[in-house]
Amino acid sequence: MLGAATIVFALLRAVPGDPVEIMLGESASPADVAALRRDLGLDGPPAAQYLAFLTRVARGDLGVSITYRAPVATVIASRYGATLELAGAAALVAVGFALPLGLLAASRPRSLADRLARLVSLLGACLPSFWLGPLLILVFSIELGWLPVSGRAGLDSVVLPALTLGLGMAGILVRLTRTTMLAALREDWIRTARAKGTPEWRVFALHALRNALPPVVTVAGLQAGGLLAGAIITETIFAWPGLGRLVVQAIDARDYPLVQGCVLAIAFTYLLMNTAADLLHRVLDPRLRDAS
Amino acid sequence: MRLAMLSLMLVFACSRATTPPAGLVMALASEPQSLDPRFGTDANSARLADLLHAALTRSDATANRAPEIASAWRMPDPHTVVFTLRADFHFADGAPVTAADVKATYDAVRDPALASPKRASLAMVSGIETPDAATVVVRLSAPYAPFLDATGLGILPAGLARRPDEVVTGAGPFRLVRAVRGERLDLEPNPGYPSGPARLGPLAIRIVPDEVVRVLELRRGTLGFVQDAFEPEVLDWLRRRRELAVRQGPGTSVHYLAFNFRDRRLTDRRVRRAIALAIDRDQLVASVLGGAARPATGLLAPDHWAYGRGRVPAHDVRRAERLLDRAGYPDPDGDGPAPRFRLVYKTSSQPARRRLAEAIQAQLADVGIALDVRTYEWGTLYAQIRAGNFELCSLAWVGIGDPDLYFFAFHSTMRPPAGYNRGGYASPLMDRLTAEARVTTDLASRRALYARIQRVAARELPVLPLWWEDRVVVHTRRLEGFEPSADGSLHGLAQASLAPGT
Amino acid sequence: MPRSARGRLSARTGALVLLALCLVGFVAPLVAPADPLTTALHDRLRPPDASHLLGHDALGRDVLSRLLYGARVSFIVGVATLAISLVVGVTLGAAAGWAGGWLDEALVRLIDVFLAFPGLLLAIALAAVLGPSLANVVLALSLLGWPGYARLARAEVASLRRQEFVHAASALGARPLRIVVTHILPLALPTLLVQATFGMAGAIVAEASLSFLGLGVAPPTPSWGSMIAEGRTFLLVAPHVTLFPGLALAATVLALQLLGDGLRDALDVREGDGQRR
Repeated sequence: MLGAATIVFALLRAVPGDPVEIMLGESASPADVAALRRDLGLDGPPAAQYLAFLTRVARGDLGVSITYRAPVATVIASRYGATLELAGAAALVAVGFALPLGLLAASRPRSLADRLARLVSLLGACLPSFWLGPLLILVFSIELGWLPVSGRAGLDSVVLPALTLGLGMAGILVRLTRTTMLAALREDWIRTARAKGTPEWRVFALHALRNALPPVVTVAGLQAGGLLAGAIITETIFAWPGLGRLVVQAIDARDYPLVQGCVLAIAFTYLLMNTAADLLHRVLDPRLRDAS
Repeated sequence: MRLAMLSLMLVFACSRATTPPAGLVMALASEPQSLDPRFGTDANSARLADLLHAALTRSDATANRAPEIASAWRMPDPHTVVFTLRADFHFADGAPVTAADVKATYDAVRDPALASPKRASLAMVSGIETPDAATVVVRLSAPYAPFLDATGLGILPAGLARRPDEVVTGAGPFRLVRAVRGERLDLEPNPGYPSGPARLGPLAIRIVPDEVVRVLELRRGTLGFVQDAFEPEVLDWLRRRRELAVRQGPGTSVHYLAFNFRDRRLTDRRVRRAIALAIDRDQLVASVLGGAARPATGLLAPDHWAYGRGRVPAHDVRRAERLLDRAGYPDPDGDGPAPRFRLVYKTSSQPARRRLAEAIQAQLADVGIALDVRTYEWGTLYAQIRAGNFELCSLAWVGIGDPDLYFFAFHSTMRPPAGYNRGGYASPLMDRLTAEARVTTDLASRRALYARIQRVAARELPVLPLWWEDRVVVHTRRLEGFEPSADGSLHGLAQASLAPGT
Repeated sequence: MPRSARGRLSARTGALVLLALCLVGFVAPLVAPADPLTTALHDRLRPPDASHLLGHDALGRDVLSRLLYGARVSFIVGVATLAISLVVGVTLGAAAGWAGGWLDEALVRLIDVFLAFPGLLLAIALAAVLGPSLANVVLALSLLGWPGYARLARAEVASLRRQEFVHAASALGARPLRIVVTHILPLALPTLLVQATFGMAGAIVAEASLSFLGLGVAPPTPSWGSMIAEGRTFLLVAPHVTLFPGLALAATVLALQLLGDGLRDALDVREGDGQRR
């Protein structure tokens, strides 16, 4: 977290463009500009600003947004829910698509399900979200009229953005599930279980699945970071009022406190997701549990 | 685990209003900087100000000032302006607008503690008095003809005018009901508006950043109003939709090429004229813009009261080449690929700007000038331009009010950060004319001065005007009585109404 | 057909397709029917016809020619990014995996920091600072990519280090660097290779995303990403402008995936986060 904060601080200061000038526009007098700069604490040497920034963050104070003239924490809180909703729905889509498909493909190699799994995996990897998004809108919103085009209005407005964002992750997870399941099914003790006469579905569900899930969960946790980053483009296209779009706008306006706050929020979320994935991994992994 | 996520999502969904209001839904490409007239400087803030706020005066079709809250004004002497106010303007909360509110708003903007970006435009004001509730007397420290432009500032209630956070209570045709930051704004008619509340009913403004999605929403009918720059083919496609109306008309925003006078080659007038001759503006307008613009002869559009007919050289490749030869930049290999010289052309990363850059690149290549096109994200580009770090650059002026802009753009002392003279153009004649025009209060004399200024600009080419872009509005046919305005103002919505239907 | 044999077939197919595309980009100047840079404003957005097989783009340029030249850019981005992030990542990862201790800890922290930072933001910030150009795109994407390879390399090296043959080599007096390079890395190669093919696909798609945001290569150089991004606006009126580069992108990614899957099957590589039983 500290690293993330440092990187974003350094990067922002390095990027050309002065927030005060952008805020006040060109007609402002130099005196006004200097005054505002003093007000915002942007006039000291970078090292001093960095220290001030760190101490404030430690106390939980994320500063005041330059463009919104409101506390950064408030601005972020108002958009956080939207991003969580989108990321959560996308994860649901990804897992919901990937797991059953991967399992099916592993249990019936070279069947239709297997080919479908590979297709999904390919589509997920090669269709950029800014291409897929409008395509989905064309089909589901314009032609079929089932879903709204953009914005965050009701339960159905999250479907298309979640599909767009989740398909990429789904592609990776499908392949992963299929491979780990295949590998797990080939283990010796699976053969033992089969020899013992355990019904096939029990073998599949209880033994193989338990072995396959942990790496999937870990990778899902790692990919979650990609979800948060990919959300930037998806949010822009679907006019989804989340953190991703907020960050881009804040960068455009050189709203330093807001960008710093957003990045910290994203890093924090990523950390949470990874920890959750780790915990889940521990719960699911019989090896680790048996070992302890 | 999945059940938990599902129920979480349901909770999210239920905690929000799910039915949009049955009124006009408009889209903006980006969020306005501020809904507070003291702070917003971008175009979207101005659009919202058209709807939410009222000012002493408004801009009319010729960029002159028309009365709004002030029914009349006079200048008993060059240092004083006396405004007489109407009695029938009310704020969103019902309170009437009085001289005290005007004074409080202007004083707040002039207060350095508030850090308002509009403070500089009121720099000439030395004091404001309110002898009675319907009269405002403004004292200027020196005669300053462009002062009236600054009276377009939205008026806030006296009690709220000094607050440092965003104040949205205005006296405009609409008032704000709900604002969901970054997502939508819900407006409704202001009951206290003179001649009654707007007949339009509830007005929702959604922020939809992606242009493809905006068009799709129009097609679906979930958006009823978009004022934007559309690609010509997309516009044609929209014209074919029977439920939509496409209103295209002359606009006043001018797109131009800025020259940097710190570059040895660009200081030579022959080189600038050669570039002007090489660029085929008619072709650009016809092909890149689909005819949705008028080739420009100067900064001021013909609709402007101070417009003076100027002549910018028409497309002529031969003459351009001869000028470059005479200026000392011969073409090393005749028609071959080697250029006479290279210029760096900086522009923003928007697709339309890039396309324009590439088209100009091809046209200049015809006369042997090689363009190095560099695109940057806006904040970076802005910083570079202000620092004078460019050779050629494409920019635009959106909404020109008082022609005093010529002073800020071309006076030799107006380099950034003081003004907009990014190229560093310096001409004693232009200095003298623009300085004189800003202190001349007689309209006829000002007009004559600016006519001369425009002739000088057409000859000297401190910048190369490209075109005046048309105003395009696409709206649902159910919207009746709406007249688009050349400067993009949305004030026409106050007179419009929405017919019932799906 | 056993998995490894089927894998070899997939890998070969994928590699062939890739090579073909690569070659096409290489010989583009000889094969392209028109100059990719010549604008013809009156031909704006013409659909495909006999003389211009894929139609014209928004400035009247021939889409087919731009597609062919764009192959070069996409491949350069993919290969260069791969090379840089692979070299940097493997070096750092192997060093940390071998040395253990504080170096290992430090690297893990560093990787975590990089992974926690939203990649796209880094790319945006870099593009804003450095200006858009091919070199900067490669730089930005490499910075995003190296942690993945570092993590993988570290895990492989760390687990292999404990193997018997390493002890033996050490006892014989071989220097760590030699052991790593000649013994360990070849064993780790399969996993890395597989990851590399997917990484390259990711880099090419990421270039498209950067172009969408306006931060890709500078105009007028064609790249599939910028063609897709610019053609988006005309999705409803002239879909061919964005469709063909999209198909080219899909074909390349498909080839890379085939190659990666095939390699994995052929070399019997385990997926996941590099854990080995």
